[in-house]
Amino acid sequence: MAHPTFSSTGDVTADVVIVGSGVVGAVIAHQMAAAGHSVVMLEAGLRLKRSDIVENWRNMSFHNRVHSDFQGLYPQAPLAPAPLYFPANDYVGLSGPDGSAFQQGYLRTVGGTTWHWAASCWRHLPADFRMKTNYGVGRDWAISYDDLEPYYCRAEEAMGVSGPHDPELQSPRERSRPYPRDMIPFGYGDRRVAELVNPHGFHLVPIPQGRSIQPFEDRPSCCGNNNCQPICPIGAMYNGIQHVVKAEDAGAVVLDQAVAYRIDTDDKNRVTAIHWYDADKKSHKATGRTFVLACNGIETPRLLLLAANEHNPTGIANSSDQVGRNMMDHSGVHATFLANEPLWFGRGPAQSSCIVGPRDGGFRSSYSANKMILNNISRVGPATQQALELGLVGQALENEIRRRAACGVDLSVSLEPLPDPDNRLTLSKTRRDPLGLACPDIHYDVGEYVRKGATAAADQIRQVAGLLGGTELRITTSFNANNHIMGGAIMGTDPKDSVVDGDCRAHDHANLWLPGGGAMPSASVVNTTLSMVALGIKAADSIQADFQGGRA
Amino acid sequence: MIGKRGRAARVRYGLGAALGVMSMTGIALAQDAGGDAALVARGSYLATAADCAACHTAPHGGKPFAGGYGIASPLGSIYASNITPSKVAGIGNYTEAQFSRAVREGIRGDGAHLYPAMPYTSYAKLTDQDIHALYAYFTHEVRPVDERAPVTQLPFPFNLRFSMMFWNALYLDNSRFAPDPSKSAEVNRGAYLAIALGHCDTCHTPRNVMMAEIGGKELGGASLGSWIAPNVTPDPVSGIGNWSSDDLFRYLKTGDVPGKAQAAGPMAEAIEHSFQHLTDDDLKAIVAYVRQVPAIRDGADSRPRDSFGVASGREAVIRGAPGTLDNGEKLFSGDCAACHQPGGQGSKDAYYPQLFHNAAVGASTPDNLIATILEGVDRTVGGQHVFMPGFSRGSYVDELSDQDVADVGNYVLTQFGNPAVKISAADVASIRHGGPKPLLARVGGYIVPAMVGAAIVLLALIGLVVARRRKA
Repeated sequence: MAHPTFSSTGDVTADVVIVGSGVVGAVIAHQMAAAGHSVVMLEAGLRLKRSDIVENWRNMSFHNRVHSDFQGLYPQAPLAPAPLYFPANDYVGLSGPDGSAFQQGYLRTVGGTTWHWAASCWRHLPADFRMKTNYGVGRDWAISYDDLEPYYCRAEEAMGVSGPHDPELQSPRERSRPYPRDMIPFGYGDRRVAELVNPHGFHLVPIPQGRSIQPFEDRPSCCGNNNCQPICPIGAMYNGIQHVVKAEDAGAVVLDQAVAYRIDTDDKNRVTAIHWYDADKKSHKATGRTFVLACNGIETPRLLLLAANEHNPTGIANSSDQVGRNMMDHSGVHATFLANEPLWFGRGPAQSSCIVGPRDGGFRSSYSANKMILNNISRVGPATQQALELGLVGQALENEIRRRAACGVDLSVSLEPLPDPDNRLTLSKTRRDPLGLACPDIHYDVGEYVRKGATAAADQIRQVAGLLGGTELRITTSFNANNHIMGGAIMGTDPKDSVVDGDCRAHDHANLWLPGGGAMPSASVVNTTLSMVALGIKAADSIQADFQGGRA
Repeated sequence: MIGKRGRAARVRYGLGAALGVMSMTGIALAQDAGGDAALVARGSYLATAADCAACHTAPHGGKPFAGGYGIASPLGSIYASNITPSKVAGIGNYTEAQFSRAVREGIRGDGAHLYPAMPYTSYAKLTDQDIHALYAYFTHEVRPVDERAPVTQLPFPFNLRFSMMFWNALYLDNSRFAPDPSKSAEVNRGAYLAIALGHCDTCHTPRNVMMAEIGGKELGGASLGSWIAPNVTPDPVSGIGNWSSDDLFRYLKTGDVPGKAQAAGPMAEAIEHSFQHLTDDDLKAIVAYVRQVPAIRDGADSRPRDSFGVASGREAVIRGAPGTLDNGEKLFSGDCAACHQPGGQGSKDAYYPQLFHNAAVGASTPDNLIATILEGVDRTVGGQHVFMPGFSRGSYVDELSDQDVADVGNYVLTQFGNPAVKISAADVASIRHGGPKPLLARVGGYIVPAMVGAAIVLLALIGLVVARRRKA
């Protein structure tokens, strides 16, 4: 078992230096450590105890709960802020027509943001990899679906994904190996909605997810606490900490409260070291043979820009000027209504089924695809709020809360922005973090493609609501963020207009990999984590190949 | 890593075996075989009843009976051997006589002594017919696996296998099972199943300093490293005298009696691999036997271990007042209450058991509570996988320190269990590292120096005597 070596001053040397200990960094760390390489992970944030987060959530105010505050319960390292919204801390400065649609929630903590994801493990469609070729919009990936498919399988197996074994319910159907576990069974609401909408061309499928109804390895079975977001209280939902632990067991070392800020390169533009500040603001250096930045779609481009040096004056990996550009998220809308019969959403995991009929089609040459999640988060909170607003008291209040909680439907609709170089992350000239490092600024405009897609989605929503006898239909009019941050270190075949190649290796630096959402050239409409992990595993294979080939 | 998947739980004491004291006058439980197929089937059932696979099939995908599983003993890992009929790696060259000698006397085909991690002192009671059926099963039905199991390498002096010869001379009663004519046929059948095959005594009977079972203390309860195999004699306070026969039957069949006890650690494995597969009649016979062994009372016990505690009403008091809880209650709320419920009543379907009226929480020693928190519960019975994650190093849920486990354990004991029992961080550290070490393991390194010392003293004495005689 190989371990990184530390000097008396706290500098470290390892075969593989990874910045970020979220799911992508942790999966790579585990693979490399298991292959016998010394690995050190630099994590800006704290190492947290699940029980503390669970208690913080249980003691959270009704207001924060009902408005989905997933950030505030996670303590932050004093030197590594992350976005907060209750109240807003303006760590990320937002501007542009849809700046408010880019209010991302992400965690800087050991294990990363999958502490509070919902564990949806979707694959992109084959067509999503060829948007330019197929539909004349957006960009093609440097790799095809077939290239990534084996890595999708490995990602599903690593994360213990439960997904439908029935091909009719798979999206996409092209797969070489079955899901490690069959789908989480539909709840009553999922079955009933499927009965009502599927005959009209909607296609309701189970969401593949990183949890299971039987134990998976040392992970217990999901028992439906329904608060996956903001914290699974029993560890039944996959999160990055599981691979952090596996990596540590294989010899990797995780340094928490280690904020990376500077990157050294040599005359061949290979990375030689990454510098970080510890919790006492003391600077240290990590030297290594290969380097991975896996700090999420905002922090990775921010670090690349912060770390501009003499050889790379506009930022590391940025000879194309594409670092920080093409920022994307599944800008979405929510639709709520009351069905004319109880559907009992809110039992089981937070996400259960999804309408994927409008995921693909010729229309994508002119407007965005969408997917509609039948949100399975308990409706008791919103139902209570609505019933109180009606001025009810006593038994009438209780009855109304029950009715609204049982019949309430919340569709979370995701749309697909195109990569636009003007949707851009830059370094703030005015706001700095406690270490004096520039905070990120992001300009964002969802674009006409998404606005037209939202109009089409609204028609579909009205149709779905009508099939369920819906009343009080409300569709939000401003776009909301979905925390699926993509594009800032975009993949392509041409080093002149892209940052990384098909292995997520930086075009400019032969020993630097930037895997994760930032590399994704098309957003599709599905949650990004599985694609990010698949890209991470593909990157790990290419790192391993470099070691085997004597190139590392 | 210690604690994952309850592996460290598979403790069978390395140097320990049964010294049967029951009347043995000969019994043949095995029916006459109705041909080879019936003989092999009978052997298969006996192998299940004797739980050979518990040690000889490595957990989580090991090939049946190919060995390789390291049985954690206080003296070091003892690797179960390959007992498939492989001629290169297993027992494929064994004659039935050699097989019988290995199973009942602890002597391998090559003449070397087995450690009594192999419970041959119990199997010594097996009848010739049953040995014949087992031999038929292992040579005809089990598939050969040509992979050698790892070699056991205990530290000196325990690596001297011939020393077992002296131990056997003291502690191996090589007589076959004999029914007690004063007991019913069912009780005799239960005795044979419980001792000769099930070797219940291997874990549940306390041991002396030489790691041999203490006569007169049968099934009186014993420490098994991290776990306690509790007193299962019919004493109504210290044992299982307050359990009905149906309770006991249900426990052996499922490992779960709500409001009394759930099987974890080595007992969960015994139920998973052995008891759940026995016929109802055989389980009833074991129950009948256990209910009539001499009751043993521990004077320190005041109430049955499954009679402590009530549901808690703390949730309504603590919520919304963050920062006011002590560490134990906070950990209980954050790490335990989601499944066991804030009131400790468990889930309605009892998949998550209640914490009050729970033997692990009401026992007079906290070992099983600590071991459960550290290692969790892993039991697959009747197709249902009961799984509680552990909270030791490497836990996907939460890694708890020794002090954390002590704090949450003490909260659970006070709120739901035996309030007289207290846990210290040192107790947790001990259980985490495999439990208290028996004297023999602690003094192991000194045995030979002590023998040399004794020899010198003896020679000196002889010299003195000789010298005096010469003088005289």
